[in-house]
Amino acid sequence: MIEFNQVDKMFDEKDKPLIALSDITLSIHKGETFGVVGESGAGKSTLLRLINALEKPTNGSVSVNGIDVSNLSKKKLRQAQKQIGMIFQQFNLLNNKTVGENVHLPLELHDYPAALTTDEVLRFVGLEDKKDSYPSQLSGGQKQRVGIARALITRPDILLCDEPTSALDQNTTEEIVEVLKKVHREFKMTIVVVTHELPVIKELCERAAIMEQGEIRKVITVKRSTEQANVKPYHERAIEVLTDD
Amino acid sequence: MTEALRLYIDRVIEFMPRMLESLGETGIMLFFAMLAAILAGIPVGTLLYLTSEGQPTENRPLNRIINAFVNIIRSFPFLLLVVAMQPFIRQVYGRATGDPIAASFPMVVIAIALYARFVEQSLNEIPRGILETAQSMGATTWQLVWKFLYVEARSSLVIGFATATISFVSYSTIMGVVGGGGIGDFAIRYGYQRYETDIMYTAIVLIIILVEIFQWLGLKLAKKLDKR
Ligand SMILES: Nc1ncnc2c1ncn2[C@@H]1O[C@H](COP(=O)(O)OP(=O)(O)OP(=O)(O)O)[C@@H](O)[C@H]1O
Ligand SMILES: [Mg+2]
Repeated sequence: MIEFNQVDKMFDEKDKPLIALSDITLSIHKGETFGVVGESGAGKSTLLRLINALEKPTNGSVSVNGIDVSNLSKKKLRQAQKQIGMIFQQFNLLNNKTVGENVHLPLELHDYPAALTTDEVLRFVGLEDKKDSYPSQLSGGQKQRVGIARALITRPDILLCDEPTSALDQNTTEEIVEVLKKVHREFKMTIVVVTHELPVIKELCERAAIMEQGEIRKVITVKRSTEQANVKPYHERAIEVLTDD
Repeated sequence: MTEALRLYIDRVIEFMPRMLESLGETGIMLFFAMLAAILAGIPVGTLLYLTSEGQPTENRPLNRIINAFVNIIRSFPFLLLVVAMQPFIRQVYGRATGDPIAASFPMVVIAIALYARFVEQSLNEIPRGILETAQSMGATTWQLVWKFLYVEARSSLVIGFATATISFVSYSTIMGVVGGGGIGDFAIRYGYQRYETDIMYTAIVLIIILVEIFQWLGLKLAKKLDKR
């Protein structure tokens, strides 16, 4: 359970403080898939980064599983952070480490009694044959799969996704969405997805918050499309879109 | 022509022992400079980076102090630094002139300042996202440095080290003024002061070869380490 309680977030800009978030009150339930949508600059990333304390609220508090993460000692903070997985728009893999080494990295930082193995998570995301490759040898979609595998290896309670598909084309986006759905199905973790891509939220999330200028305008229940996700080859889709009138 | 060549070879053979000895002195000075660059330049450069503005470990006063040290040393004309350090070297080492170890003290100081700056620049090239990733995993500062920063910056660190070492070669040629010797001093003494022009050029070619070797080694190693 993630709770925002009257949270404001200001950034000190040179002339005047910039209000990134104002009066956010929100709770995200355990095990749900929650989306955050909004235009660029709406404050989506800032909201997400408060959950794993990459940012601290200026006012109010954020609690995760009953622990107030907004004011913890450095050591307690790291303990809280290690329980939360995160994936990024730019994947943020280490270019000088192999796929296997990248995925294993979190386990070198802390002890995780319930951790999975590198092989297990690579199999889960369908990259068992890329273990010894370097990120530069992978496509964007494959890099994001590595990012997901790296986040999964610790079996976090919560997975935060900041624009996980925004650097990818449409077909690859659907692939990644499928992987994230599978993560949710098999690990039952809470997944929070920030994106400006509405179809991603529609496909993946149960509820979503709509943000504008640092405020949550509305929290809605997402109506899932009933039709099966149609992952058509790129060329078919291109023809479909371009010849449609 | 062959006569001239034979004469030249004879002279090189004659001067060879002195030349090798000078190369050895250069080696001593370079050794201490390179050692200092690694053992102190890397930590100081890393500290410069970690304490800079916008980092989670930002520390303005400490950053200012280290920055001032690096800037002062680097903007000091090297010859004056050598002279200015004489009393200090005499205090700690007993003598300030006449041997390459005494001459290594200013080399060590410039090596730390120079390489620290290079290290800072290498670390600055790492994308912000990598730091954020480390932080999101709950990495300690120590883990951030060893498991993220040095891994991603390693080829750039090596290239910087090669460039710094080439500068050390250049700085070492000055050390003749305090009797530190070295191949640069050899070239000046025989070429400039005694008009043994052929011997001077031979020494200069040796210096150039030395520089080329460092350059080549640096690039080769950097390439091997770089998986981007
Ligand atoms: N570290 C920071 N320092 C100063 N201002 C910041 C910082 N981080 C974010 N901001 C500002 O806060 C506001 C919200 O930023 P945020 O990154 O949360 O938006 P976003 O909704 O994620 O946008 P995008 O879709 O472009 O990623 C923006 O105006 C941004 O410029
Ligand atoms: Mg964002």
